[in-house]
Amino acid sequence: MIAEIQAGPRVPEAAPNILEVRNLRKSFGVHEVLKNINFAMRKGEVVAVIGPSGSGKSTLLRCLNQLEPASGGEITIDGLTIRADHQLRRAELMGLRRKAGMVFQSFNLFPHLSVLRNISLPQERVLGRSRAEAEKRAHALLERVGLADKASQYPARCSGGQQQRIAIARALALDPQVMLFDEPTSALDPEVGLEVLAVMKELAEGGMTMVVVTHEMHFAETVSDRVLLMADGHILEEGPSAEVMRNPKSERAQRFLKAVMNR
Amino acid sequence: MSDILSFWGTYLPQILDGLGISLKVTGASLAIGIPAGLALALMVQAKSRFLRWFCLAVVEIGRGAPALILLQFAYFGLPNVGVSLTSFAAAVAALSWSTAAYTSEIIRAGLQAVPRGQIEASDALGLSFADQLRFVLVPQGLRVAAPALLGFAVLMLQASSLAFTIALPELLSQAYIIGTTTFRYMPILCLAGLLYACICIPATLLVGWFERRLARHA
Ligand SMILES: Nc1ncnc2c1ncn2[C@@H]1O[C@H](COP(=O)(O)OP(=O)(O)OP(=O)(O)O)[C@@H](O)[C@H]1O
Ligand SMILES: [Mg+2]
Repeated sequence: MIAEIQAGPRVPEAAPNILEVRNLRKSFGVHEVLKNINFAMRKGEVVAVIGPSGSGKSTLLRCLNQLEPASGGEITIDGLTIRADHQLRRAELMGLRRKAGMVFQSFNLFPHLSVLRNISLPQERVLGRSRAEAEKRAHALLERVGLADKASQYPARCSGGQQQRIAIARALALDPQVMLFDEPTSALDPEVGLEVLAVMKELAEGGMTMVVVTHEMHFAETVSDRVLLMADGHILEEGPSAEVMRNPKSERAQRFLKAVMNR
Repeated sequence: MSDILSFWGTYLPQILDGLGISLKVTGASLAIGIPAGLALALMVQAKSRFLRWFCLAVVEIGRGAPALILLQFAYFGLPNVGVSLTSFAAAVAALSWSTAAYTSEIIRAGLQAVPRGQIEASDALGLSFADQLRFVLVPQGLRVAAPALLGFAVLMLQASSLAFTIALPELLSQAYIIGTTTFRYMPILCLAGLLYACICIPATLLVGWFERRLARHA
């Protein structure tokens, strides 16, 4: 436990911003789901996004890689800026998605491809790597997530926790600048979720920039550098994890944290 | 009984020739029609309104018109506009159209059954639209559609007997020719029926097996 108490910010203050979100808005019809979101992340930072159901956490994450086109504002990832009021060019969209890797709650592995192929195919198609190169990388990543022996299996033969670790390897194989996680452990039994969280923790320690939407308060508190607490499409509170989670300022945040901490 | 068997024995080679042609027509129609059906299934979702309407017309005519009419049209109608086809080519053309029209609906349903998360995952990975179709949507959609396609293939073998009306010497025509020369329609039609059954029954069983297997993996 001692090791988890960190003296000062883990990421140097001087590290450049790798992600900036300015005045981001998103509406579905008349329903405004994200209302003027602003935040920035430095390279290597891990940000946990927490908040009640329906507060817009997933939508925020999905706007970051344009799975949902934003209705207003700007997003900059690693020097590439996307403006909602500009027609998005295909090359920009592809560039953005290349910089951001995403991990879903439901894994979304390709069921008709072997585990190895799930990881190697996107490398070949998106980055133009050779088959041999892509498979070498895939094997190395499988090793890293503790699943070297699963390479030739099909996803359906793997447990949920294994599938999620494979999904993480698949995203990492494309060398993203930022990793986006949308409740990666919510579909898993708690013990199984721990395997996945362990991989994510290792990734964070390795310096990966990560945005993690999560209901795992322990993870948010111990692994992430910062917490964004969302409610009703706003960022209600933002700050160092321990600060936001131990001493929330607003009554709404106190209520939410009290409810989830007692679970 | 031994009389019938020896009659069957005499004409079996001719009947088998007919079966060979039936299988060839069916095989060719499926080989052309299913890829065309896939193309139609993809194109009805195209952005271009012209393309959408064109596909819709091809599909609706192919499904709306009885296969018999398509056959007659290809064999007797097209020569009027300067295109004359052999009876084999006309049969393949007509049955391919039918196949394309019906299988496009089957394949479209298969594509729609692919979970949304698969598309999102390939989008998030940065796969191009073409790659998404080629590596994610089409393989999975076809897998879902496979039992229905196989079932359709069986129907198509049976439908190939309609080519009897355009003088294609397929299985039913051969049986009919033998019937007219020997006046023994009953036994030779029974033999033809048996041969169709020999192919269709195992194929139907295979469809059932396929469906159970898919259900287990879903
Ligand atoms: N595609 C969509 N069309 C219409 N409304 C949507 C769509 N996606 C999300 N919403 C709405 O946007 C709001 C925010 O949804 P979002 O999924 O971002 O919440 P969340 O914070 O991730 O919630 P949860 O913790 O339950 O995952 C909800 O009211 C939801 O109903
Ligand atoms: Mg969500």
